[in-house]
Amino acid sequence: MTVLVKQRYGEQRRAGVLRVIHEAYFGYERGILGVAAFTLFLVLWEGLARGWWADLLHIGALRVKPIMLSSPSTIAATAWQMYFVTGEIWRDLGFSGLEFLLALLVAAVLGIPAGLIAGRYRDLSYAVDPLLNALNATPQVALVPLVVLWMGAGLGARVFIIALLMIVPLMINSFAAMRTVEPKYLTLAHSFDASEWTVFRTIILPAATPFLLVGTRLAIGRGMIGVVVGEIYGAPVGVGFMINQAGQTFQTAKVFVGVLTIVVAGLVLSEAVRRVERRTERWRPTQAQEQQP
Amino acid sequence: MSLPVTVGGDAPGIHRSRPAAALRGRRFFIGAGTIIGLLALWEAVADVGLVNPMLISSPSRVVAAGIEPFASGDIWQDINVSAREFVWGYLSAIAIGIPLGLATGCYKRADYVCGPFIDMLNAVPRVTFLPILILWFGIGIWSKVAVAFLGAVIPIAIATHTGVRTNEARFIRVARSFCASRFKLLTSIILPGTVPYLFTGLKYGAGRALLGVVVGEIYASTAGIGHMISDAANLFDTSTVFLGVALFMAAGVTVTALLNRIEQHFDRWRPEMQRR
Repeated sequence: MTVLVKQRYGEQRRAGVLRVIHEAYFGYERGILGVAAFTLFLVLWEGLARGWWADLLHIGALRVKPIMLSSPSTIAATAWQMYFVTGEIWRDLGFSGLEFLLALLVAAVLGIPAGLIAGRYRDLSYAVDPLLNALNATPQVALVPLVVLWMGAGLGARVFIIALLMIVPLMINSFAAMRTVEPKYLTLAHSFDASEWTVFRTIILPAATPFLLVGTRLAIGRGMIGVVVGEIYGAPVGVGFMINQAGQTFQTAKVFVGVLTIVVAGLVLSEAVRRVERRTERWRPTQAQEQQP
Repeated sequence: MSLPVTVGGDAPGIHRSRPAAALRGRRFFIGAGTIIGLLALWEAVADVGLVNPMLISSPSRVVAAGIEPFASGDIWQDINVSAREFVWGYLSAIAIGIPLGLATGCYKRADYVCGPFIDMLNAVPRVTFLPILILWFGIGIWSKVAVAFLGAVIPIAIATHTGVRTNEARFIRVARSFCASRFKLLTSIILPGTVPYLFTGLKYGAGRALLGVVVGEIYASTAGIGHMISDAANLFDTSTVFLGVALFMAAGVTVTALLNRIEQHFDRWRPEMQRR
């Protein structure tokens, strides 16, 4: 105890200019350290292209030439070029976004009702449970070559792949949501002869919403995988296609622009869902199933 | 309108209370029946010729496609390559991810420095980096190891971090007031409290590492199960594609089951207080 007291006392005794600096630093320590680390990272990276530590690139299995590494300044210039001068990325971005939205729509329209209905009836839930587990354990991206075989390289094939990846977390979470519905409420509703629709609207839906949101967040994450994988494996357009093509022609800066575009899209989307989730947090009953392989 | 006499009785849609053993039996039979039924349906659709079996294959054809490579032993080389990629990527992710998570969880400055990078990587599917990693490491095993590592390290680090942060503050205060050493604090309070989170992260990470291997091999490789799938798809050999998918599925299930086992073992020595 005495040690603690002394430490606290010592901190308080600093005075004058030192104290101002001290407070300014510790008030914004998080931001200062974060920005400093990021800046250091960028400087080190830039240096790998033109600084004296560029020789470090030839260690072990790493056979990296500066052209493969690009540099922050080159990437920034390329991004500017692609977004505002030639505008070539907008087409890719538009197609990727379209695929993503269509797939989310398909997956939500099919997956959520299917999961809820399967969870509602006991025997049906026994039938669906092992199937969902099997589907969840399968890396569905391994089916991508097959889907391309079936449906070609068009928009439909990619929407199918993305929706396939998205539907699993949506179904699992709506399925799990049904199990958390208080059985007493259902008994009560039943004893008052409530119709199935009323039960769904007034009891099931409010209880399931948090789970559905978690499912949506997971589905968005998986959907981004679907967009990238679906597009780098045989697609004529899209951000993933652009990344793939740039990679094969050693235009590393373009690859990074594509990756950063996806980073930004991912951050925006997950932040949006988290906002909605936070609103419903107050009446969240229990933790939804977050696991997925 | 008649009120039901037996509350919780045989109302449709309400989970009835029956002896647990009977329900378990029913559950098993319905579950197994559904899977067998669907496989039979798949087989029938292909055999009757409703859909060209060349496109959708069928269970019997998948088994038939599996016999030859397993008998001749050709497939073991592919399995070996995929397994090596997975194991190296996953183990290195554990070796880096857990200490990273512990560091960012225990020291706020480490969190301030590493947090932005981890968050950024977390927001993007790491398979996006595949074209770059292929450029850097070539199309051999190391690019897949790298993408599997990247896939797994982030969830493991985040789960460990969360586990440390959700440690009971009271326990730490008590330990501190009894002048427990840092090492003692770590081994007897922080680590045991982190275990459940850690295993969630490990399972999630295993899935991500497997995903990395699959995508990496399908995208560009010279060997491995993903390579087998991609090759077979190009030759319209759907049976072999499904064989590969089944192998990946088996791998995923095995790893998850293994981790569940280990988790149970760890759960046993967790202090009673944490379980509540």
